[in-house]
Formats: sequence, C-alpha cells, structure tokens
Amino acid sequence: MLLVDKRISDAKGFIGDLKIRESLGSTGIGLGIAIPHAKSSFVDSPSLVFGRSMNGIEFESLDGEPAKLFFMIAMPESGSNMHLKALALLSRSLIHENFRNRLYKAKTNEDVIKILESIDSID
Amino acid sequence: MIKIVAVTACPTGIAHTYMAAEMLEKAAKKLNVKIIVETNGAIGVENRLKQKDIEESIAVIIAADARVDMQRFNGKPLIEVGVSQAIKNPTKLIQDALSNLYPIYKNEN
Repeated sequence: MLLVDKRISDAKGFIGDLKIRESLGSTGIGLGIAIPHAKSSFVDSPSLVFGRSMNGIEFESLDGEPAKLFFMIAMPESGSNMHLKALALLSRSLIHENFRNRLYKAKTNEDVIKILESIDSID
Repeated sequence: MIKIVAVTACPTGIAHTYMAAEMLEKAAKKLNVKIIVETNGAIGVENRLKQKDIEESIAVIIAADARVDMQRFNGKPLIEVGVSQAIKNPTKLIQDALSNLYPIYKNEN
C-alpha cells in the first residue's frame, strides 16, 4: 500500500528495517496495541498505517496478549520533526480505554480518520 | 501532596517514551500522588524537570532505554528501569517509591 502510493521506495527494505526495530524489543506494548515503527532510508514520506485484527495476532507483547490494533509508523531518515508531536499525542491517547474502544468500533476508514482527528480533545 | 519526578526515554523516541509517561501519570492520579514526567523523545526534551521539583520529590523514576542526564538526581532515592517497565507496571513503580524502597542515587562522575 505504501509502495503503491510511492511513500516508500522498497517494501522489502522497509520491512527489514521494521524487523531490526522489533529485534531490539517487541513494539507490542500490551493493551492489544502494537506500533511497529522504523526510521528508514526506504521511506520517502512520513506515513502512518492503521490496521485492526479482531482476533488478534501474537506479537510478543509486554503483557503476553495478542495485538489487535496496529499503528505502523514509517519515518524517513531525515526531515521535518513536525509529525513527531502528533505521534507523541497518539501514543498517549492509546493508553486510554475509551480511545481504544472507539477504534474497535470504527466501521469505515473515515471513522478512523475522525477518531484520529479528535485526539487533541481527548483528556 | 506527595510528589514524584520521572524521566522517560526510548531508542527511537516516538512512541514508548510517551506511552510510559501517560501510564505513570494515570497510575499516579489513581494513587493520589503528584508526578511530573519529563519526556526525552525524538522531539527533544519536553517538560524538563525543574530543580525545585526534583528537590521537593520523594523519589525519582527513570524509565529509559536511552541516555538520560543523571547528575541532577544525586542524593535522591532513585530507580532505573527500562521504559517497558513503566508501561507494564506503572502502579508498582509508584507504590515502591511511596514505600521508600529505592536506593539513594550517587553519581560516579
């Protein structure tokens, strides 16, 4: 998907970089969330991909539970730090049950985007 | 109100740092403890701890997998754990601080 949109230049290379990050410790942080991420030379535009698996996927998470909500973060090696603030806010939001429940209930891509746009107003 | 200070940091500095901070803040609120969390992330240092807050705190929690400026904590009860510990067991970290379980930090430099 990122390749088709020309947001990354090489899918294999990018996945390799994601795996290197996972090898430092799983990004399955528990609470059913995983945030595989990498700063990679194969990334052309900073991107965030949301995925959901209602059955859950084993992710060697901190709490041993399968991951159901995935936020994959693709960041270029260099470039603006603007998106980092948004990611920090997203990370904080994911801790809150109410926020996670809304992501579980979302039915369309637009629903998810609306939820993400509402982050600023989450307590 | 009892005050604790904390620093969170992780290698990439884009997610765990902030999740750990949020977990500590959430757990502290439940335990009726005031916590001030400095985040050392890819954005840089945010909410940098003031010397006054460090002095007034009963303990320091360092939840980091990256280097943290430690000198300022000389003489404080302090625990150093990986950032994932603060995400996994934030309540225990704070309870241990309240129970005075942390050794006094001495900077070797």
